[in-house]
Amino acid sequence: MAEVLITVRLAAPATLEAAMRRLGLTEDDVDTGYGLVPVDPGRDLYVLRVTEEAGRRVGDSGTGVADGGAADGGPYSDPPIEPYGPPR
Amino acid sequence: MRVLIQLRPSPDLVAAVADPSVPSMASDVADGLPGVVLDHSYAPVAVPRPMPASPGGDPLSLNQPLVFSMSPQDASVVVRGEIADDEVASRVALLPVSRRDVVAVYADPAIETSLTCGGDPAVGDWHDVERLLRVPDLAAEGLDGSGVSLAVVDTGINAAYVKAARGQDVTVDHERSWSPEGVSGTPGDFAVDHGTMCAFDALIAAPKASLVDVPVLLSRRQGGSTLDGLLSDAIAAYAHLREVLDAQPAESRALVVTNSWGSFSPRWDFPPGHPGNYSDSAAHPFNLIVGSLAEAGADILFAAGNCGTQCRDSRCAFPDRPIVGANSHPSALSIGGVDTAGTRVGYSSQGPGRLTKRKPDVCAYTHFAGSGALGDDEPDSGTSAACPVAAGLVAAVRSLWPSTVLSPAQLRTLLRRTADDRSAVGYDHDYGYGVVDAAGIIAALRRRAAKAA
Repeated sequence: MAEVLITVRLAAPATLEAAMRRLGLTEDDVDTGYGLVPVDPGRDLYVLRVTEEAGRRVGDSGTGVADGGAADGGPYSDPPIEPYGPPR
Repeated sequence: MRVLIQLRPSPDLVAAVADPSVPSMASDVADGLPGVVLDHSYAPVAVPRPMPASPGGDPLSLNQPLVFSMSPQDASVVVRGEIADDEVASRVALLPVSRRDVVAVYADPAIETSLTCGGDPAVGDWHDVERLLRVPDLAAEGLDGSGVSLAVVDTGINAAYVKAARGQDVTVDHERSWSPEGVSGTPGDFAVDHGTMCAFDALIAAPKASLVDVPVLLSRRQGGSTLDGLLSDAIAAYAHLREVLDAQPAESRALVVTNSWGSFSPRWDFPPGHPGNYSDSAAHPFNLIVGSLAEAGADILFAAGNCGTQCRDSRCAFPDRPIVGANSHPSALSIGGVDTAGTRVGYSSQGPGRLTKRKPDVCAYTHFAGSGALGDDEPDSGTSAACPVAAGLVAAVRSLWPSTVLSPAQLRTLLRRTADDRSAVGYDHDYGYGVVDAAGIIAALRRRAAKAA
């Protein structure tokens, strides 16, 4: 899994730079082309695509502790998706 | 699930059932079985008791010379019925306890050898689908997709091809279309492929819908295969669709999103139970954004997948329950496939789903001669075709029923309630609530309109 997803809550106006600052991430950690994507505007929830290592470092799950990292969720998987047809 | 129930009623009753001159009914021997819908068209059948041919033989073994006794004291009776799919385990366990005459409950699998599979020729053509979806009747009601944004989240649309194949103009909404980072090309002008098939099929019931081209499956990251993207691209696409939806006036809010794709393998996912898992976790960001977009007013449809037990796609790698992630989302419609004869195609994935057990929701038509986008003699196939066919029907409804008047949840319920049920107990994991029924939808909308007037 080369890259993973993490979520973060940010008050408006949310920017990628603000998210990186909050999470302590560098440009090497983050897919800046993907950017900061709103998941649920009503809940100020955003997602970033980061390296697996960064996901482990700042994610709040998979660490074995309740509040492992600065992110509000993740690391989450980013699996490939494919068309469902024609059946092979 | 259809079942055979073996009972041992009184000898008099067994004798009556065994006597061909005496008419007997299932209710005579098996009335009131809790949780079982008896099939009254199936006359009870007397079944002989196997017994050891030699004195002293093992009375429980079938691996020895046997004789068969039809004596009323020995024989039993079999009836046919149906148990709701989500109650099978408990009912089968409880029946012999609650009724002492119940000997056993057995599966009664369909013995069909002719289910349509991948590679089979088309069953009917898209004009048959038009007829089955009652497209002229829908149009007469003003339900033709006018004013509705229909987002095809796929490999991109070739509008010129769709126009030529349909013989009608096609509208692509360039302004609202969107591509992932790194995907170049003009909306409506992508290479003819899977997404073009989906667009063609969506327009069968909603010829005047405005197509929003969202080619997420063209994303090329991590050195992916010929046609695949990443789930993160779909998240970004949905964030864009949220902006599209929010910009629509409330009085005409109508965005239908068709998704004929999914994840075939757990290989790239965290395992179920891990907090970062996608297939089984409602907390994954994509599953969150699907729920969020639906709540805001979008109708979201996902193909159930092509991992049906009779002829599953060779890529299917989930060991069981192949309707995973958003394809089993509670706020989306999961669409299975039937051919134009109304029979489930053998590759259409069966439930239960992973996020929601009652998946698929409904079935729609597939495996018909349609766009030809996949090859000259290739049918429009897979639940990939069934999903946009159903999405077109939803888009047709939205022409006059914006989501501020009829919410996505209400519309999902409408499709389920009006579906042509294919079992005796309502929901089943092959067909869901049944096959989409445009006549039922039209009638229900008329009743709703009359009530509101």
